[in-house]
Amino acid sequence: MKRLHPALYVAALATILVIYLPLLAVAAFSINDAERGFVWYGFTLKWYGQLWHDQRVRQVTVNTLLLAGASTVISTIIGTLLALGMDRFPWPRRVRTMLDGVVYLPVVTPDIIIAASLVAAFALLRTLSSFFDPGLPAMIIGHVTFQVSFVTLVVRSRLAVIGTNLEEAARDLYASTPYLMRRILLPLLLPGILGGAMLALVLSLDDFVISFFTSGPQSTTLPIHIYGELRRGLTARTHALSTIILLATVLLVLALQRLSRRQTDQ
Amino acid sequence: MRLFTKIVLSLAALPLLLTGCSDRGSSPAQTVNVFMYSEYIGDDLVEQFEQETGLTVRIDVYENTEEMLAKLKQAGGEKLYDVLVASNEAVPGLIKLGLVQPLDHAAIPNLSHISDEFNDPAYDRGMKHSAPYQWGTVGLMFRKDKLANPQDISWALLFEADQQPGRFVMMDSMRDTLGAALKYRGESMNSVDPQKVKAAGELVLAAKRSSKCLGFEGGVGGVNKIKTGEADLAMVYNGDAIREGRDNPNIGYAVPKEGGDIWVDVMLVLGKAPNAGGAHRFINFILDPQNGAKLSNYNRYATPNKDSLPLIRAEDRANPAIYPPAEVMKTLELLHTLGNDIRVYDEVWTSVKSR
Amino acid sequence: MSRAEHATGSVIVWHGQMKRRRALLLRGGLYVGVGLLWLVLFLALPALLLVVIAMIQRGPYGTFVWELTTENLTRTMGWGMFGWSADTLRILGRTITVASVTTAVNLVLSFPLAFFIASRPRRSRMAWLALIIVPCCTNMVVRAYAWMLVLSPQFPPSRAAQALGWIDDGAGLYPGPLAVYLGMITTLLPFTVLPIYTNVERLDWSLVEAASDLYASRWRVFRHAILAQIRPGLVAAIVLTFIPAMGMFVIPKLLGGSKYMLVGDLIQQQFGESRDYPYGAALSLVLMAMTLLGLWLSRRYFRKSSESRGGEAAL
Repeated sequence: MKRLHPALYVAALATILVIYLPLLAVAAFSINDAERGFVWYGFTLKWYGQLWHDQRVRQVTVNTLLLAGASTVISTIIGTLLALGMDRFPWPRRVRTMLDGVVYLPVVTPDIIIAASLVAAFALLRTLSSFFDPGLPAMIIGHVTFQVSFVTLVVRSRLAVIGTNLEEAARDLYASTPYLMRRILLPLLLPGILGGAMLALVLSLDDFVISFFTSGPQSTTLPIHIYGELRRGLTARTHALSTIILLATVLLVLALQRLSRRQTDQ
Repeated sequence: MRLFTKIVLSLAALPLLLTGCSDRGSSPAQTVNVFMYSEYIGDDLVEQFEQETGLTVRIDVYENTEEMLAKLKQAGGEKLYDVLVASNEAVPGLIKLGLVQPLDHAAIPNLSHISDEFNDPAYDRGMKHSAPYQWGTVGLMFRKDKLANPQDISWALLFEADQQPGRFVMMDSMRDTLGAALKYRGESMNSVDPQKVKAAGELVLAAKRSSKCLGFEGGVGGVNKIKTGEADLAMVYNGDAIREGRDNPNIGYAVPKEGGDIWVDVMLVLGKAPNAGGAHRFINFILDPQNGAKLSNYNRYATPNKDSLPLIRAEDRANPAIYPPAEVMKTLELLHTLGNDIRVYDEVWTSVKSR
Repeated sequence: MSRAEHATGSVIVWHGQMKRRRALLLRGGLYVGVGLLWLVLFLALPALLLVVIAMIQRGPYGTFVWELTTENLTRTMGWGMFGWSADTLRILGRTITVASVTTAVNLVLSFPLAFFIASRPRRSRMAWLALIIVPCCTNMVVRAYAWMLVLSPQFPPSRAAQALGWIDDGAGLYPGPLAVYLGMITTLLPFTVLPIYTNVERLDWSLVEAASDLYASRWRVFRHAILAQIRPGLVAAIVLTFIPAMGMFVIPKLLGGSKYMLVGDLIQQQFGESRDYPYGAALSLVLMAMTLLGLWLSRRYFRKSSESRGGEAAL
């Protein structure tokens, strides 16, 4: 790889530092012995202890993880199918454009409009079945709706990179479709699928607007909980909660990275 | 196709997973679901109710009226909650939209304890649908050492450039802030005269443009800024100001002399409540004089219950910020729902925020 | 792709398979079906519902009066109760400005980052990417509050600005325009970097070497050998940054002290305190229209550039 101009090094590292600056501040104040404010009083881990004992926080965390897990699984499956379907079949040009339009609509639509649309959709569907009442199932549906497009985007870009040569070669050798899928396409596609899943997971964990409008009693998620805490005033407990989320995400991402590395090494 | 079978199986398994995880333990008749503002009731009071009645209480919180309405109406929350604690401004709309049911006064004998000022309110005559919960005011929180005359608080401290004591925060609510400007100009906070509201808007705009203006915040944001010293003046709710400022003798709160808004939060029973009986018991419980006093002693707001007054903490009872004297009470106005006329405020507020 | 007309439909060769087109498309339909149905049901149809709502009137207490009106749409263009005013257009203009500046700065910052990561040993690249993505996983509002912390009067950045005379003594960089841009840029940076990085990683350095071997100046090398290859990634980066930036309002609101409204603010107000859903829906449509226009423009540019890419890259 070419050597890099030192100015680029500096610029890149400086940018990364600036991105992390606020997070480091949050982490620093989560171990500060002061419930509010910006003055340093001393080191303490008691806020983390309080969080651990807070039953409501535990419930909220479970909700968030459940929601993220279920919606990621569903959206990854649907998104991958969609990507394969859009890319690997000879659609006429018009159909292709229409598919592109519908699938990428959520990517380019601001959050608040998607939320408004979902609320309208559920209001109608609720008249048919109480399955669509506010609560975990409705939240999962809401999340999947915007996750699918992002998964499709990532998987499709991976499909483009893979190209069709291997597939054609395999077919020339009389490979059947199931064999092709299982042994050739899916393994090659796996980094893309995992990437899409990771993106979907992140989107779900951070979502506030859509979760809010579809949540029911006792199905509050972490972003909604934190938002409420912030409206009532920042406390060191909120800092501690945010720091935990950050650390958990770092661990998750590292784990996924090692997983995908093992796959690609094989 | 293996892939397909995998998909079908996982999709089939998911509903099972979900039902397993959702909390269907207790039946509706055993629970009371409450939807209220946050930090409005002490845990000990909730536990006391649970012990006395054997019912389980579940509380969900919201931060402002719009969230609440959106949740109940658009998101179908009206079937999920039993008791709703809402601001008086929302009550006529809730009644009109058919979201709440009339109270069965026979089930709430403690209604007789409500003070005369609150038992026949303009927003709900005869307390047909609502029972008062707590009440309070919106006013100014300030650092005493930054003011020339801490005894004489006026909205001029916000709107007159030469009287602004230092950095200040206004409330991010069009009715409250435009209402304050209206009051300063001697108008009613419920005025729908476009020219009057527009003139009020110009005052707010001028204040916003001052370099001393830190912007608009929700009530608690203003309180926090005063506490950390970033601001010297903020428009806040009285309860928040008192709760957070009690350790600091330099911090004060007052309703400006031109007057301000008085708000009453009330308890209502939702029309499609799964446990209306439990809801009525909860309301009756809160209206019991002893419990009402415990409630107010916790959240430092004022109680509408005349028989709770003797049981209120003495310092709160004597605090004019919580229980304003009669001459101040005369200047206070209840905010009315404006229906379609809210558009006047919306346009003026947009204009203020866009320039 | 060769075709043979058949009595029951054309047979094509597709990716090494010879199959009937119809059968192939049917299977394709199965793949695409679930996702498409889902999106149509939960997104496309409701979006149409929004269009309908934009054209009816608001009733008292936020209900709907089912009578057609164009008032909401004219109101988005500025015709309100007090006659015509430039307020809404000012808000739209301000939104576009903030989004554009954020996108531009992000693009500039993305280049060093993308090249930096691409220059790392292959094993650690994912780690570096993860480093960029991870802050996204924390709550956006929390990060905004963290910036409020860092930019408050007592902290070094504000003190430095005070010393330099940029702001008054005792004042903070928050609330202020710098705070808003810092918040927007750091929030959206990962979206800009990732598409550019995917192109930079697959950059064909032989072309760059060829260009410099031919004595092209550094700037020409950059423009014709590097920039030309990265163009699709650039377009994707612009799309993925500009469009969310247009709809964002929480960060500018928190870091700007809620002093200046953006379109997202205005929309949220209609679904909130003002309870004027028809007007909110009309505003949403305007926002969507601007968004789609931006997307269409970028696709045209992409198609144009991918046609000329063959010529330029060969330089």
